[in-house]
Amino acid sequence: MLEDQSNVKAWLYLLPALILLSIFIFYPILNAIFLVFVEDYNYQTGHYVGFTLTQNFRYVVGDFNFRRAMLNTMLITFVSVPVSVIIALLISVWLNAIKKLQGFFQTVFFLPYVTNAIAIGMAFAFLFNRSYGLINWFLGIFGVSPINWVGMGASWGNAMFSLLVYVTWLGLAFKIMVFLSGLQGIDKQYYDAARVDSASRGRVFRRITVPLLSPMIMYITVTSFIGAFKAYTEVIGMFGERLGPPGDDRALITVVALVYRALDRSGVPGALSEAAAAALILFAVTLVFTYINMQVSKKRVHY
Amino acid sequence: MDEAVYGNEKQIKRKQMIRLGVVYAFIVFFALFIIIPFYWMVITAFKTETEVFTSPPILFIGLDPRNWQWGNFGAALEQAPFMRFTLNTVVVAIIATIGTVLTTILSAFAFARLNFKGREVLFLIFIATMMIPGEIFVITNFITVARLGWVALDQTYFQALLAMTIPFMTSIFYIFFLRQAFKTIPDELYYAAKVDGKSDWQYLWRVMVPIAIPTLTTITILNAMNTWNAYIWPRLVTQQEDYRLVSNGLRDAFDDTLGVIMYHEQMSAAIIVTVPLIIAFILLKKYIMRGVSRSGIKG
Amino acid sequence: MEITLKNLTKVFQSKKEEETVAVDNLDITIPSGQLTGLLGPSGCGKSTTLYMISGLLRPTEGKILFGNEDVTPVPPEDRGIGLVFQNYALYPHMTVRQNIMFPLENVKMDKQESLEKAQEIADLVGIGHLMNRKPKQLSGGQQQRVAIARALVKSPRVLLLDEPLSNLDARLRLQTREEIKRIQRETGITTIFVTHDQEEAMSISDEIVVMREGVTQQVGRPQEVYDKPTNLFVAKFLGTPPINIFEGRVEKGNLLIGDTKIAKYDAEDQEVSIGIRPEGFKLVEKSSFHSEVEFVETIGRDTTLIIKHPNDESQTFRAIVDADFGVEPGDSVKFTVKPHKMHVFNSETGEIV
Repeated sequence: MLEDQSNVKAWLYLLPALILLSIFIFYPILNAIFLVFVEDYNYQTGHYVGFTLTQNFRYVVGDFNFRRAMLNTMLITFVSVPVSVIIALLISVWLNAIKKLQGFFQTVFFLPYVTNAIAIGMAFAFLFNRSYGLINWFLGIFGVSPINWVGMGASWGNAMFSLLVYVTWLGLAFKIMVFLSGLQGIDKQYYDAARVDSASRGRVFRRITVPLLSPMIMYITVTSFIGAFKAYTEVIGMFGERLGPPGDDRALITVVALVYRALDRSGVPGALSEAAAAALILFAVTLVFTYINMQVSKKRVHY
Repeated sequence: MDEAVYGNEKQIKRKQMIRLGVVYAFIVFFALFIIIPFYWMVITAFKTETEVFTSPPILFIGLDPRNWQWGNFGAALEQAPFMRFTLNTVVVAIIATIGTVLTTILSAFAFARLNFKGREVLFLIFIATMMIPGEIFVITNFITVARLGWVALDQTYFQALLAMTIPFMTSIFYIFFLRQAFKTIPDELYYAAKVDGKSDWQYLWRVMVPIAIPTLTTITILNAMNTWNAYIWPRLVTQQEDYRLVSNGLRDAFDDTLGVIMYHEQMSAAIIVTVPLIIAFILLKKYIMRGVSRSGIKG
Repeated sequence: MEITLKNLTKVFQSKKEEETVAVDNLDITIPSGQLTGLLGPSGCGKSTTLYMISGLLRPTEGKILFGNEDVTPVPPEDRGIGLVFQNYALYPHMTVRQNIMFPLENVKMDKQESLEKAQEIADLVGIGHLMNRKPKQLSGGQQQRVAIARALVKSPRVLLLDEPLSNLDARLRLQTREEIKRIQRETGITTIFVTHDQEEAMSISDEIVVMREGVTQQVGRPQEVYDKPTNLFVAKFLGTPPINIFEGRVEKGNLLIGDTKIAKYDAEDQEVSIGIRPEGFKLVEKSSFHSEVEFVETIGRDTTLIIKHPNDESQTFRAIVDADFGVEPGDSVKFTVKPHKMHVFNSETGEIV
């Protein structure tokens, strides 16, 4: 008797969340699958021409923008994440080594996390301004002539470089936070024991600190990759809706951007299916890389 | 244990000092790397137009606030109705956060405290969905919201609010987060309350919620911050600029398709958008960082 | 190799400029090749002393000598010590074998030799069959043996153990303390361990050093310290059940509790605290020393009488007697005291009289 009551009661508590989740999370997952296999779907009338296995995927992949988006997304992911992780690791180790002002610097390093991606993106864009920006002035000190990073006619390479700097910068805060927490969580006794065992600094770092930190490192790497695959707002922040320097629209388009571009054309029959197809492709790619990531890490992670 | 130092005291002390000095140097170097964009944003916002468009760039605008161009903020506010956008954002944040907090409390309670059939299965389903990228939901949610008539061309403000808040009235991530906090409350408290004749509902609101206030505060703050930074969805579902949120306002006002950007105004607008976050961070640092680290370390 | 501590002092400064003297002018010699226990209540400075011997803590004043060598300026990694931490500090991500071999990595030893040495030590402590496991797959007792193995593998001059038995459950404690004794006997290494449990210290130490608030109270063989405590603290600290204390005085060569003379005693007139071991009472027919029995506890061979305390009606004291006497609660019993089980201390100084 009591058991039954408990069941009903529990589900009642869950009801509000479940209703919302069903409408806005579970149903969309199923619907996305539906969309992907449907032809020329018009959401306003609910009318569609028929079912298709691959047409929507072919459409997306065949789009010139798709290739660019894939390239850009991959580049952002596989460059900014490793660089960000390594720098974050170094900074955390250094922070862990100082006592005075550790709290102060921790706050400083955490600032990028609490800011608005668009506001800071704009600041970065101006930093990279060809004539008036700080970057070119700094490079000028070393005799480098002004580079057109993000302005009219800027090359894809330059624009991508500035974007990568921005994305890396943005990603440091969270990683430093997690690594530092991890480092501080390592019991001091291990270091004492290692000291008694006459281990050198380098050995202590390699054989004790890094292995004990490895779960955090893996967690950060996996989640950072997943997050980087979804890059979009950062590009908007630096380049606006154009997604590229003036004159080179969509030079830095990402896969997620593709999804939203399709969504903007929602009235057009089939557009939503494109969006769904692009989103699913991204999801699949993310899954594959996450799996690879985790397999590779398995050997090196010690719990 | 504090490191006991051995060997020639002076020599060792000096080596340690040097090592420490090097570490500080590296830290300061990277701290500068982090600070520079902020600094750049701030001084640009306070420059005159001519000062902005000079080369080499002016690095220092002096310490006298009277020389700073406070007028840029006024100009920025003219570019776009930032007050309006801030108001919109606050309204959306309040509605969405209240909704989220309520649904989260109820659901976390069910998971943490109640034993019911299907709990494990439901938990797994929740975890699985957390892994699915948001873009997939957005597509159908757009359709849903449109079908509900909230994004028609003659959209009213109220409808826009609905479209911007309802889909975000609950979050699996927060449910897990709060569940974790609830789970740390000892079973004994529950049993004691039962013995005292209290119902589950009373126990939840009189005991668990008050104990979990720090976590709830973190959730509220994080949710508010996310609303403040929201860009994509509000843009997608609003038909009129007036209905949009602060991040949209910022981007739209200073879109560089229209020629040269007035950077000083752009940066002051950027500051207007960023400052509330920084203030929130300084005041509520503890809650924000704890929220981030809890989700981080849990792995 | 014996260890000498000379004027060893450690003062801790807290952030508020408060000073705590954890160890105060310790002057002791720890015999070579023996198992010595540093015994005392929490905060008495025993762990601090141990860590100073290890080198992880620097003394504020004083010297530490290993044999004839002054090791005070020598860092821990060069002192040739093995240290077993209270929480074992086993590297969780390494196997047992790797944990034990870790100290050898830092010494020039050829891989094959290290492997053999590690196995040898592991067998000695009884975990030779667990080499491939990780620490979290081991029980508490096994983890501790790994910690001991790791400490022994580099053939240290001194083996230090910080509260080795406190993390183990009662049954395991008995087993393990015998193990520690056995290992020490087999290796012959000078071993020092820290504990707050007097029974533990008494059972396995060759010698114990009783400490209190940073100061040595008494040093000697366990039975000696038990039988001949030099002050009230030591008398109270050693012995289970604890010694019974009675307030009294010495007057004209007599020892009195209240108005009752319990024995003759040759000393100056003074206020004293009289300590009588529970096993120091003999039930007799006639004696002026008597009181009423409140409870009787019979456990197997021994009977413990819980008797109203002559100094204070609300208190009791314990006497262990033969079971044959047939005493009931409420009975009035009379006793004499076995003189070697009675120790008289000056009320003010606590020193033996």
